[in-house]
Order: sequence, then structure tokens, then C-alpha cells
Amino acid sequence: MSNKLAAVDPRWAWEPYVPTAEQPWNLRRAAHLYRRAGFGASPTELAAAVGQSPEQVVQLLVQGEADPAEEQRASDALAQTILATGNTRQLAAWWLYVMLRTRRPLIERMTLFWHGHFATSGEKVTDATTMLDQNRLLRKHALGNFRQLAQEISRDPAMLIYLDSVTNRKVHPNENYARELMELFCLGEGNYSEKDVQELARCFTGWEIRQNRFRFNRFQHDGGSKTILGKTDVFPDGAAIDWIVDQPQSHRFIAGKLFRALICDEPEPPAELLEPLAEVLRASNWDLAPVVERILGSQLFFSPYSVGRKVRSPVELVVGLLRSLEGSANTQQLSGDVLQVGQGLFYPPNVKGWDGGRAWINASSILNRANLAGRLLTDENTRFGGGKLGEYFARQGWDVPEKALSQLDELLLAAPLTEAARARLLQVAASVQDPHQSATALVTALASLPEFQLG
Amino acid sequence: MQTDRRQFLVSVAQAGAAISVGSQLPWFWRQAMGSSPAPGGDKILVVLQLSGGNDGLNTVIPYRDEQYRKARPKLGIPAKDVLKINDDLGFHPAARGLANLLESRRLAIVQGVGYPEPNRSHFESMDIWHTCLRKGGPRTTGWLGRGFDAAVAVRPTDTIGIHLGEGKQPLALSAERARIPSLSSPDKFRLQGKADEVAGALRALASSPASSDDLLGYLQTSTQSALAASERITAALRDYHTPVAYPDHALGAKFKTVAQLITAQLDTRVFYLELDGFDTHSQQPAVHATLLQQASGAVEAFLDDMVHHQLADRVLVMCFSEFGRRVAENASEGTDHGAAAPMFLAGTQVKPGLLGAQPSLTDLDDGDLKFHTDFRQVYATVLQSWLGWDSRAVLGGEFNAVPAIDVT
Repeated sequence: MSNKLAAVDPRWAWEPYVPTAEQPWNLRRAAHLYRRAGFGASPTELAAAVGQSPEQVVQLLVQGEADPAEEQRASDALAQTILATGNTRQLAAWWLYVMLRTRRPLIERMTLFWHGHFATSGEKVTDATTMLDQNRLLRKHALGNFRQLAQEISRDPAMLIYLDSVTNRKVHPNENYARELMELFCLGEGNYSEKDVQELARCFTGWEIRQNRFRFNRFQHDGGSKTILGKTDVFPDGAAIDWIVDQPQSHRFIAGKLFRALICDEPEPPAELLEPLAEVLRASNWDLAPVVERILGSQLFFSPYSVGRKVRSPVELVVGLLRSLEGSANTQQLSGDVLQVGQGLFYPPNVKGWDGGRAWINASSILNRANLAGRLLTDENTRFGGGKLGEYFARQGWDVPEKALSQLDELLLAAPLTEAARARLLQVAASVQDPHQSATALVTALASLPEFQLG
Repeated sequence: MQTDRRQFLVSVAQAGAAISVGSQLPWFWRQAMGSSPAPGGDKILVVLQLSGGNDGLNTVIPYRDEQYRKARPKLGIPAKDVLKINDDLGFHPAARGLANLLESRRLAIVQGVGYPEPNRSHFESMDIWHTCLRKGGPRTTGWLGRGFDAAVAVRPTDTIGIHLGEGKQPLALSAERARIPSLSSPDKFRLQGKADEVAGALRALASSPASSDDLLGYLQTSTQSALAASERITAALRDYHTPVAYPDHALGAKFKTVAQLITAQLDTRVFYLELDGFDTHSQQPAVHATLLQQASGAVEAFLDDMVHHQLADRVLVMCFSEFGRRVAENASEGTDHGAAAPMFLAGTQVKPGLLGAQPSLTDLDDGDLKFHTDFRQVYATVLQSWLGWDSRAVLGGEFNAVPAIDVT
């Protein structure tokens, strides 16, 4: 049956989740939280989470732990190595490395979210440093303030190049950035006119880059009066951006995007359901942490309307599988893997980012997602808890396949496996003698199931 | 890598999955076109989508029009460079393939194509071309998807349409029941595995009754379809040869794959390809030239290959973009989103030449060319006279066909 969001009471939806007998706070629910607010969690992390209240865990995820200085240095060193090669495509390997190791997975999730929202592609912005700088900008504001993020991304060199602002001249304004700022970044299509696009474009004339930084060229800037969305003004500096961001529809537009990213892929939520979230954004003056915390801690989030109602993105698939089993892998290989099934980090397909949801699934990607899991698990560089998968199983006390499967079921799946699926998977595990290979076959088969594609 | 890792094909013994050759779907005779089904097999449509908004005015160029020169001091193509179609119009010099096709009477150019109240957002306009619906109501199926659903209801198949591309499937192909495989490259279309048991489990579980849950059900049927189609396509690609030299780029390779699949006599009626990059807001000349060369070269090679394989009469290529571009160039040596533009139909069964007048460069719609031919008319033509599908049901209305197809 389809997800009937129209039936949801908007007041109940955003109240804090209170565990009940039907919706207990247990390992499976904790796993759901970690999957959406991060990339999944290991058995140890989940056990610890269940020992706390859901509210506490959400708070911890939103506030985040700082990564130890040594980790930060290792990550920076890796980034430097890649920048030295000038190979922009390798940035994906760096980011996956960060996602695998960070103690602030929600920040990485939100950075990825903004990367899809303010989509900019290395295909056009070929310089690695420029692309990495944008990534750092997104990370800085990932759970910060949206108005500030909008101001800074409008002056970000990668964005200026990608949407042709850098060649926006007084005599013939280039409309690209103006259109996308309204259509894709803040308001949504249909909330502005063609005339608004033309007028807004004039505000960005003379916004250029000099020595890899934003520079305002007043000789190319059209400083005259413009009329945008009913207001007539000179709109100096970034005033036009503030005007767009503060339009009445924008809070609901951003709330809608956050809803889709965190609650469920489909259907589109009714306006009444989004309105309370829009209110939180208004009340917080565009600070993002309060609304994200509200969503993650809500009744709706922990309800059947949300659990298992998103298709895992390729990144969630691989990073999720690895983090859940304390895994590490060759992230260069991984970056090629996720590219192949449709998510090239730093290379979104177009300015709309990735569509997500069912769009991740087509006849070719669905087979290749299964192939991906297989490749990852059999790769000689992949480690689980520092060793082979069979050893990891043994250390967890998963000494027989039945036990392993029950634990993996709770750890990795939104809903319990059917009896038929369980039986079939146990057959797979039993068909191989060697414990490590049996463990690998079991997890590969599990990861190939349609059920595993949901997160 | 572990040495005991084996690759294998998943073979699915499905009743009725045998490759069908030469069978005809029932279709509806349309008086206006006076055409009849050609013997020897179903007609095949190959759609080439130029994504980003192709600058039609610099593709089919009114090289003698003063307005053209005035509006495009930098971007205007010199009269001496165009590949002449007639005394008024010529092709961009990079579109050599189109010129050759026209010369060999295998190209129809439908001018001034668009729709009322043009939308200049890529996504919205493309959605309109894909679904024939404007924003407002649900847009879950595409025009071709609706055709697929009707076709597979009569005769089930996994390969009624094939998308040659990575990433997202075009909305045009989205159907309620039919599932369309996406091939990024043929070898990426197989399930690999360490042991037969893994694939066996997947196959067995994927064919169990679909969950009542919408999303999970979708995943299950997608998996089933993927496994079945994979088997058939891999078998089809094994024995193909050609003397034609396809251009050495991604689109050329994709068209070659289409040729291979056609020669393998699958029951596929529609192939869908995309070429991206036409959103030339700045520095247009080099980019546009490259893309036109790629598109026209690939289509020409493909149609020549079809001639070699004696399948040319069964194949039609349709080429479109989600909108044209503004008449006046901008200050970044590029053009911004526009409206009307030409569409191309290519193959031995077209009525070669220009259809419809070149839109006026002075009587504009807020700086953009005005359309006179609704894109759904071209769709109707292709649906009725070529695919033999019920265009009224697919398009949600009657649209007068254009006289572009001349089946003999």
C-alpha cells in the first residue's frame, strides 16, 4: 500500500517520539535513526544508543562529537595529496574516507544534502581546489544558517563558474544563476516570473573571480533600480539574495527538501504537514539545527510512514554496509563503485543534483548494486573490525549462521526478513564450509536483496 | 582478487521469454497518412534527446536574414560556412551528418516546434515533452511509457523499450506496468557473483509474490525484470559485425549498441538515447559545434549501418530538445533559454526536406521564436504512422499529424 501522508495529523507528526509497545525504542529503531542521521551504526553503537533515550541520541547526533585532532590531520593530508595531483575525480575517494571515519556523520549527511541542493559539477569546474573549497563551505554551514549559506554559495568560485555568473556582464546579463537561485535553491518553480529572472540577473552582474576568490567588478555591475518579486530597489551587494531567501514560500520549500531527505521519498508531503517545520525555520531565523533535530526526534520519523520508506543512495549503501560492520575499504575503488551505480560525488548529473528515491533503481543499477556489494565484500583491502569478516563474526559471538542472520537483520534492515527469505539466506550460508567465506556469502546475498535497498 | 571468483550469467527460464521475430502488433489505420505496415517486422523508433536546450537557430540557420546577423554579431554563422539546404536556410557547418542525410533523402526537418505558453525551466519543459502534461496534476507516466503499457498488455515482454544511458531514466519511459531496462554499457548488465547460490537466492526471492508495500514491490519487480532482460540482451549481443565506422565517442558507441540490439531481432520497439551539454549560456561556439558534430555523425553512422544490415526501412530516428534558445546572443558569447526550435526525423521512410516555415525573427514572443507546430503533432505522427500505437490514448487528445513519414 502506498504511503498515505495525507492522513497524517500535522500536530502529532512533529511531537517528540515517545516509545510504546507497538513502536518500542529498540535496536531496529536505533538503526533506523543512525541510517538517516548518519550512515548506520555498529552493534556496539546501537547497544549504547538503546541504553539512552531517543531524545538524548538525537541530541548527540545533532551536536556531534569533534573528530580527534589526529583524524583531522590524516584527512587533511589525504586531501592535500589529491590536490597535488590535480585530479578532481579523486576528491570522491577523500570524501568517502571522511564519511567512513567521521564521528559526526550527520554533518557529512547534511554536506551531501547541500551538495545535491547547490549542485556543482567537476565536469565544468575542473579545478580540484575550487571544488574542495566549495565542499568545505557546505560542511561549514551544513547545520548552520541557511541564509548565510545562500549568501556564501552565491560568491563561491565553483558556483560562479558552474552557473556562468563569472561571465555575467552589465550589457547582456546572464540569467542562469538568477533562475536557479529562485527555481532550485530557494523558492521552487512557479513562484516567480520570467521578468523576475531577468531583473534578478542584473543584480549579479560584475560578480567575478580574481585569483580564485570572489571579486566584485563595479564596472560590469548594473547598479540601477530593479523590480523583483514586487519590490523595487537598487539591491546592493547581497540584498537580493536576502530578499529571495526571505520570501514566504522559501521556508516551506526548504522544509520540503529536508522532509524528503530524512522522512520518506514519496509521496510529496501535503503543505499542512510541512508548515510546522517551516515555522521552526522562521522561528530560528534560518538556523538549520533546530528543524533537523525536530525531524529526527519526531513521532513521524519513527513511524511506519518513515521507517523503510527511502531507497538507499549508492553512498548510503556502501558506507552504511561498512560502518555497520566497523568496516574500512579502498575508497578509490568505492568512489568508482558509487559512480557506476549513479552517484558520482563532486559530479552531480545536472544542476538539480540527484533525484534520489526510485531514480536510483533501474534495471542496470539494481544488478550493479548487488555486484557492488559482492565486490566490496570480497576485495582484499576490505576489513571488518581490522580483520576478515569471518573473524568479525566470531568476535561478535555470531558462531552459527542463524545467530548472525538475526543480528544482521536488526542491524541492516528496516523490516524483519520473511521466513522464506531467512530460509533461503541460511541455505546460502550453509552451502559454503569455510566460516569466512560463509559469512561473506551470507552478507553478499543479504545485500543483494530488494529489502536491503531500503534504508 | 580471489581466484575462485567466477562470473556467470543468470539464466531465467521464463515461459514466453523466447526472442520473437517478425510478429506484428495490432495497430490503428490512420486515413491521413495512408500508410501500411511494412513486411518483415515491426517498426523501431530511436529517440535522441538533446538535453539542455539546443540552439535551433544556429542548427538550421537563416543565413541571409539581416535580423539574424543583427541579433548575433558574435555567434552568427557566416553565410559562406553554412551547409546549404536552400537559398534561405543552411546547416551549421559541424552538422555534416545531417547535411549528408538530407542529400541522401533521409532527413525531414520539422520547423518551429514548441507548445503554447512555453516554459523556460529545463526540468519543467523537459517534463512537458516527456509526459505531455503541465505541472498541476500527477505526472507519473511518460508518453512512451503509456504506449509501452498498452503494448505489453497485448504481448508481455521485458524489452519493449530500452534506455541507453547512465543514471536516471527519462520520464518519457516511465510506465505503470512495463519496466524498461537501462543499459549504460552491455557488459554492465549482468549479475556477477561468487557462487551460484547467491544468484539463485536472488532469483528465487525476486520472483516470490510482490510485497503489498509500494516501494518494496517496485524493487522486487524491478529486480525480476532486470534478471530476465539481462539474459536476453547478453545473448543478443554476441554475434554482430559491421563495416561502418562509428564515431569514436560515447554517443557513437551507444548508437552502435542500438544497432547491435536491433540486428539481434529483439522485440524492442523504442530505443532512447540522450546527449547532454546543450545549455550553452556562455562560450557557445566550440561546445555547440562539438555536440552537433557528435549528434549528426552518430545518427548518420547508425542509419548507414542499418542500410548495411538491410534493416533501414524499419528504423526511424527522432531528435528533439526541450526548448530552443533566445534569438539575441548574451554578453557571455552564449544564449539563454528560448522556446521554439526544429525537430529532426531521419530514416529511409521519411519525406525528406523542410516542413513548415522558418519562424520569424522579428515577430517574437518576448525575445523568443514563436512555434507553429505543437510537439505533440510530431509525437502523433510517430505513434500513428510509425509505431502503430493509439496516439489519442497516449497523448490524451487529438493532434494533427505532420506529413513527415512516407512509408513505401
